[in-house]
Amino acid sequence: MKRVIALHINGETYEILVKTNETLLDILREKLGLIGTKRGCDSGACGACTVIIDGEPALSCMTLAVRCQNRSIMTIEGLAQNGQLHPLQKSAMEHDAVQCGFCAPGWLLSAKVLLDNNPHPTLDEVRAAIAGNLCRCTGYRKIEESILAVADWKAK
Amino acid sequence: MKLPEFEYVEPKSIRKACQLLKEKGDKAQAIAGGTDFMMALKNRLKVPEMLVDLRGLPHLNRISYSDKEGLKVGALVSLRQLAASPVVKEKYPILSRAALDVGTPQLQAMGTIGGNLCQDSLCLYYNRSPMLRQMLEPCHKLGGKVCHAVSRSKTCWATYCGDIAPVLLVSEAKIIIVDSKGEKIIPLNKFYSGDGKKPNVLKPGQILKEILVPPPSPSSGGAYLKFRLRKTIDYPLLGVALNLTMESYGQICKHAKLALTAVERAPILIEEADELKGKKMTDAVIEKLAKAAYKHAHPLNNICELTPQYRKDLVKDYVKLAVQEAFQFATKGGTI
Repeated sequence: MKRVIALHINGETYEILVKTNETLLDILREKLGLIGTKRGCDSGACGACTVIIDGEPALSCMTLAVRCQNRSIMTIEGLAQNGQLHPLQKSAMEHDAVQCGFCAPGWLLSAKVLLDNNPHPTLDEVRAAIAGNLCRCTGYRKIEESILAVADWKAK
Repeated sequence: MKLPEFEYVEPKSIRKACQLLKEKGDKAQAIAGGTDFMMALKNRLKVPEMLVDLRGLPHLNRISYSDKEGLKVGALVSLRQLAASPVVKEKYPILSRAALDVGTPQLQAMGTIGGNLCQDSLCLYYNRSPMLRQMLEPCHKLGGKVCHAVSRSKTCWATYCGDIAPVLLVSEAKIIIVDSKGEKIIPLNKFYSGDGKKPNVLKPGQILKEILVPPPSPSSGGAYLKFRLRKTIDYPLLGVALNLTMESYGQICKHAKLALTAVERAPILIEEADELKGKKMTDAVIEKLAKAAYKHAHPLNNICELTPQYRKDLVKDYVKLAVQEAFQFATKGGTI
């Protein structure tokens, strides 16, 4: 069973034929080639497939593509604007917050949602915001520092 | 994981949604946030022919409050929206905090309050991949005749592990269920069947529409304490919700409601909490309440590897901690 839907991804509109049983993650990675979004556990627990749908963090592996008709989606490919890395991405590089990098697309987007709603979060708020993104390399410390640093830059 | 095929429909009215769900019966599945259902679909625990998307239904994503009627929450309100609502934060802080205890921020943004109340019960012998399931004889929840959690049991013992239900139970919430014949209001307490196989009483064609919570009393305070191994993602291994109202002077209890989750096939209200009415909150009274809760808890080893006795022992400590926390809020003039 198939259906044509319109998806607004990173500011561009795609009209795309999807099967009802395909997830948003399937479409992003396999139909649109947006492979920055990672398939981790594929069961809603690790956060590697996090995208932003209408301003809210969402797990693309647990979202049916057919339910995203006309919704605005941001993937990690949309975070840098006009060839300029987002402050969160720059900060992640400066703080060595990325090791293997598999979790980074997910937590960067979780952090973006946090800062969009709360530009000056506390450490606890940062921890709560990325609680849905598993990282097996960094121990989270550098991720937290890199997010807090962006909040500080904005304050200056 | 590839998903099985199904037909997808998006009714625009409640009447149409009820009609579709009734016609298709067991072969249709309603979906709201989908966080609970998608895993069941991936693991082939549920393989519906038709998926009925409830998100297009009008007016069910609203929160309203009045001092007289209390809180009214549409079933499609997301847990994130519920937690962030200024009126919920002010008047029902434990509800707001409990919503943030569910899953992860992503799951809170996707999952709805209605979906959380309708969450299926859990069992390590049932919630496993199709390949692992093949190694065991089908259990009651899979349509078989055995229970792997409680040997020789003739019924299913899957555990109810929702976080929101106990909090709404102690707030004496009611729910509106709608079907083709109309609406009916029932206390949330009557919503849970106590059957692990199907934890709630919704029939095909019925939809949970709204949740009604009475206004909080003055001098009341609440607590929801959730025990789990990680501070995020995990379902509760024990949840204790308490709502305590004190007389406006002194230490006398006016009203108390206590509920547990993750230790039975349904969230359970501990009736002995009603006996606190008119009593001074002494250590002996609190101890008696903790013992009553302990007696009603029946944790099994089917949701985690901790021994059931360990979780049962924790019930007493958590009830006492919940009383302390709720008492502080109540006597500071806070609300639940």
